[in-house]
Amino acid sequence: MSSSSPIARLPLCQLPAGAVGRVQAITGDEGFCQRLREMGFGEAALITKISGTTTSLCQVNGTRIALNHSAAMNILVERLPVAPHSAETRRA
Amino acid sequence: MQLPPHINPPAPKRTAASGRAPVYALVGNPNCGKSTLFNALTGLKQKVGNYPGVTVEKKVGTAYSQHGQPLTVIDLPGAYSLAARSPDEAVTRDVLLGRRSDTAQPDRILCIVDATNLERNLYLVHQVLDLGRPVIVVLNMMDLAAEAGMAVFPDKLAQDLGVPVIPCEAVRGKGLIELRLAMSRPDLALSKHAWDIPGAIAPAVAEIQASLVANDAKSPLIARAESLLLLTDQDSVRVAGSTPLSPRTAEILAGWQKRWSAEGMDWAGTLVSSRYDAIGRIAAEVVQPGTVNQGPSPSDRIDAVVTHPFWGWVSLGAVMCLIFVSIFTLAEYPMNWIDGHMASLSDWVKDSMAPGDLRDLITDGAISGVGGVVIFLPQILILFFFIGLLESTGYMARAAFIMDRLMSRVGLNGKSFIPLLSSYACAIPGIMATRTIEDAKDRLVTILVAPLMSCSARLPVYLLMIAALVPNERVPLATKVGIMFLMYFLGTFAAFGFAWLFKRTLLKGEPPMMIMELPPYRLPGLKDVALQMLERAWIFLRRAGTVILGISIVLWFLSAYPKAPEGATPSEQLSGSFAGMAGHALEPAIKPLGFDWQIGIGLISSFAAREVFVSTMGVVFNAEADDGDTAPLREALLKARWPNGRVLFTPLACFGLMIFYVFAMQCVSTIAIVKRETNGWKWPLFQTAYMTGTAWVLALLVYQVGSALGF
Repeated sequence: MSSSSPIARLPLCQLPAGAVGRVQAITGDEGFCQRLREMGFGEAALITKISGTTTSLCQVNGTRIALNHSAAMNILVERLPVAPHSAETRRA
Repeated sequence: MQLPPHINPPAPKRTAASGRAPVYALVGNPNCGKSTLFNALTGLKQKVGNYPGVTVEKKVGTAYSQHGQPLTVIDLPGAYSLAARSPDEAVTRDVLLGRRSDTAQPDRILCIVDATNLERNLYLVHQVLDLGRPVIVVLNMMDLAAEAGMAVFPDKLAQDLGVPVIPCEAVRGKGLIELRLAMSRPDLALSKHAWDIPGAIAPAVAEIQASLVANDAKSPLIARAESLLLLTDQDSVRVAGSTPLSPRTAEILAGWQKRWSAEGMDWAGTLVSSRYDAIGRIAAEVVQPGTVNQGPSPSDRIDAVVTHPFWGWVSLGAVMCLIFVSIFTLAEYPMNWIDGHMASLSDWVKDSMAPGDLRDLITDGAISGVGGVVIFLPQILILFFFIGLLESTGYMARAAFIMDRLMSRVGLNGKSFIPLLSSYACAIPGIMATRTIEDAKDRLVTILVAPLMSCSARLPVYLLMIAALVPNERVPLATKVGIMFLMYFLGTFAAFGFAWLFKRTLLKGEPPMMIMELPPYRLPGLKDVALQMLERAWIFLRRAGTVILGISIVLWFLSAYPKAPEGATPSEQLSGSFAGMAGHALEPAIKPLGFDWQIGIGLISSFAAREVFVSTMGVVFNAEADDGDTAPLREALLKARWPNGRVLFTPLACFGLMIFYVFAMQCVSTIAIVKRETNGWKWPLFQTAYMTGTAWVLALLVYQVGSALGF
């Protein structure tokens, strides 16, 4: 899943619905970063955005996770090209 | 780097402490089926209490081994990690580490794992294995894993972790026999589990471990687990009842952290990722993922509607309507039944005892006081039935998700929604539900505003006032329902408004970050819901039998003494009693609101609990109100006059009283629980002051402005 385009980071809240991203960096409160990593939301995790801009709904590792706006702003992701028949794309 | 053998000793065989059955702790991630397993293991043999100093429930049950030997099981709150972020996770951490003086460290640990999400669930298992206690891993939801096309190999997991692994479907009771057999084993091997602590961190772990052994009297194995935890426990949620760290160890810890900060090293992140590396290797061997192109699952299809920006609100609204309609309609029958039985009990006592103070104490004090409260049991049970249903199906997390946008407007997040919803039944379980909120300020704000949500104890006051306000039977039902709805709306609106105010003034803080798992939808576990309702009923009845009984007796005494001369009417008796004196003393403060000393007695007595207002009005206005009908009391209220002949219960006064009850903190039990939760008198006193202050001001405005406008 390598992307040839230069890595463009965008906060998770701006990742469009249906897109897949890889977590590049998480910032903000250390305790919160730790919990994100512990829940499998750390650097290099693959995320499918399901919906939402204020409150984001994502699929990570088979788990559905909701993040509020201030949390989603602190997660920087690299958008990956989506496989044509990805099962996890919905509601584009 | 491999740890030296003295830090990570080879696994010895460990026999259970001789002479007594081992105590098991049950731990696992939220939503992994932990409470279902606990209920399946212990059935009705459960005791629910509290950990002293925190409002986290302590659940202890008795399970039986295959040979009928009793085994104690402590159900610990669900946690993603031992690095606690909220008070309930802190309790789990502290019990497992033996930090709590009120709960002995469990001998053995049952770690329940969701097979469909093995990797993340193994994170907690990995931390638990560090504790050096015998562990049994329960691989739950094997059926769901199979449905998703995954192949999970328990034997492989057992081999990798070096502990027994029991595949299980707790909902269907599958695997319980094997689990009981494993729990009955007199000896359980300790895990051979070893993982590579990153080289840069290992010396710090060794030094903190040595200090914990030397200065905090910890055993070496626990000390290792604790030192790993101290390095990742960022803002280390401390809760009452946990023993603090010795100064020497704290100093060593701070020293390392300072050094690493200077070097720019992210020690906590490194530790988490090295754990995940170890887990990833295990998971790769144990799980064969399902085929990728399965299409949207049923959960996905439901979520497409209930988390939709528009349809999500519609479905949440429909669910809320269903709950409220059920509470008000279905509860009526059992409520009438309870009311009737209380009245006949009272009559029976009246018939079978000689008249006198003792008889009055039993009928007017104990029976009517406790009966007036027990009558709300059906409503509370219905609300808890729905809350249990929403939680066990997985919808509750969706409701919090939908509400997050609205809650973020006032500076809270979606997790505060559940406590506020519970507060419609009663603020006490609502306040207890705040324990899952991670941010301390958010939790406090939620606690401060939760009692503004109209609880079921306000209902009888509203009903009586509406009856007095619109006495005409021909008034359409919609008007009455409309007024009722207005009161509920006012309370809810005020809760949000005050939350907004507090987040901007007293408890300013960064907007909190929220991460919340939305579990897959499941059929509700009706047994679990029923058990939870039973538990609530018991807690409620116990309270009615102790605190409320006591208060009722005291109130009866205050209104029965000093005795009026022979031949005095009941209302003359009341006027001269201690309660009457208090009412007269309060009158100057409430006269501007349009209330007289008789209403004052009601306000004072209902400080214990709001619903007491109705029974007090019954005594004050000398009406038989305990036959379940508000009509006679309503007639009596409408006849009530000021000394100068003006009508007492004018529409304005009735309206003002309702508004007063929307806002005023008239509940001793809530004050007590807020005191316990916030560890002091400061916040409960502030809460009482701001709520009752607002109530007074608004009731004053209603009466004065209304009078000026000529109503």
